[in-house]
Amino acid sequence: MSIRVEALSKKFAGHAAVQDASIEVGTGKLVALLGPSGSGKTTLLRLIAGLEFPDSGRVFFHGEEVTHKNAYERRAGFVFQHYALFQHLSVFDNIAFGLEVRPRATRPHRNEIRERVHCLLQLVQLEAFAKRFPSQLSGGQRQRVALARALAIEPRVLLLDEPFGALDAKVRKELRAWLRRFHDETHITSLFVTHDQEEAFEVADEVVILNHGHIQQIGAPGLLQREPANAFVHDFLGLDFQI
Amino acid sequence: MAGAIQDLTTVRQSTRPRRATEEGPLTRWTLTLLSAGFFTAFLLLPLGAVFAEGLRRGAGLYFRTFTDPATLDAIKLTLFTASIAVPANTLFGVAAAWAITRFEFRGKHFLSTLIDLPLWVSPVIAGLVYVLLFGSQGVLGPWLKAHHWRIIYATPGIVIATVFVTFPFVARGLIPLMQAQGSAEEEAALTLGARGWQVFLRVTLPKIKWGLLYGIILANARAMGEFGAVSVVSGHIRGLTNTVPLQIEILYNEYAFSAAFALASLLSLLALVTLGVKSYVEWRARQQLEQSQS
Repeated sequence: MSIRVEALSKKFAGHAAVQDASIEVGTGKLVALLGPSGSGKTTLLRLIAGLEFPDSGRVFFHGEEVTHKNAYERRAGFVFQHYALFQHLSVFDNIAFGLEVRPRATRPHRNEIRERVHCLLQLVQLEAFAKRFPSQLSGGQRQRVALARALAIEPRVLLLDEPFGALDAKVRKELRAWLRRFHDETHITSLFVTHDQEEAFEVADEVVILNHGHIQQIGAPGLLQREPANAFVHDFLGLDFQI
Repeated sequence: MAGAIQDLTTVRQSTRPRRATEEGPLTRWTLTLLSAGFFTAFLLLPLGAVFAEGLRRGAGLYFRTFTDPATLDAIKLTLFTASIAVPANTLFGVAAAWAITRFEFRGKHFLSTLIDLPLWVSPVIAGLVYVLLFGSQGVLGPWLKAHHWRIIYATPGIVIATVFVTFPFVARGLIPLMQAQGSAEEEAALTLGARGWQVFLRVTLPKIKWGLLYGIILANARAMGEFGAVSVVSGHIRGLTNTVPLQIEILYNEYAFSAAFALASLLSLLALVTLGVKSYVEWRARQQLEQSQS
């Protein structure tokens, strides 16, 4: 399942958040959107998820145009920076949510839902926490619940907005490595936003660098470091000492 | 010397931690006494007097008040009015709070100001406006008469006036809460495949539950206690268009003091119960908000 974005533009109150952005995320790839704050990376991710709609341009999932489809029709798993867990639901019910809201015809049987949720809890190593509420979890645990919840709908693509942004350095490192391992096992096409260069380079197959709503360069981490396309990329990656 | 310093520090520690914004003890005591005195003189004493006066001639007379047909009709009418006005304003309040906190549209600021209108307009004026609109000399009067519809000096007028004065409570209670909570959970629900009404029922409603209940009980207390606006549109027809507050006035004007105060104590009781439920609900609402921000 690939993601293709063609000439996407979005303005907020006259201010251009994303301008003429085109990217392609190949099936099974893990790609990072990297840029300073206000560079439009989160907006781009939200446009792909259907949480914002573009002024112009098109979005495709595996060749199928989804530009005008609502978020609930796109089946794009989204992990929010501040988790956005349902506070009134237990960990179990949070993860089951995406299955429970399906129309009767496609909703799995109660027992199957339970089984799937337990599988996911196992995957994110939170089996013992099924009955807890989000307010009783640590930041890292909440983020893993958010991930399990997004995966429960068997998403076509996985979109992560600063997934480790609100966590402390140690947990960040652990989850980062975990995400890479997880991706190597599942090969779900993933796109994640970060402002942390080290994170992007360590985890992603490919990195998209954004500034002021424009894509500056796309490439594998090594390539970006060897051949920065312009002065911004050069400065942003802090490459001075190498030249 | 060292002992004295030691003592001072222990004294400091045993009292509450001192805050920079705190005033000296004199100011503190004056302000506390002033508000406590004011509270006793203007709230507690009258409230006590209502119950004392109602029960002065004994419990028998107190309870006989509630067997008088006119009084019973007044209670029924008040309950009926509240049973329409409160759900109507709950629906409206949720819709308005939703629109104001979730959408950007022209005139949004105007709408949120307008919601407060009933709080600054004198209820008597609100009542008069409806008389001017629906009364027999009013704008829509002849048309209503031709269709044999009575609004003023009849139950519909009372309901409309009550809806007007209780209009802001639910919306006002919800707007700050919904603004503080944001819509991240709703967005999450959307990406998980939930449609608009599922998002509302499964995510938004549980999130605003306590804030909503808070608005509803306040609206209910006001709906049952409203005097001014209802008085203007009611016409005071005994057994037909008298609500509890209007009936109290009539009993009082007829020197039926015990009955008037007995009925008044019923309304006061409602106020006290509302206050109790309100404090509980407020506490739960605050907990819910803190939880959503943790």
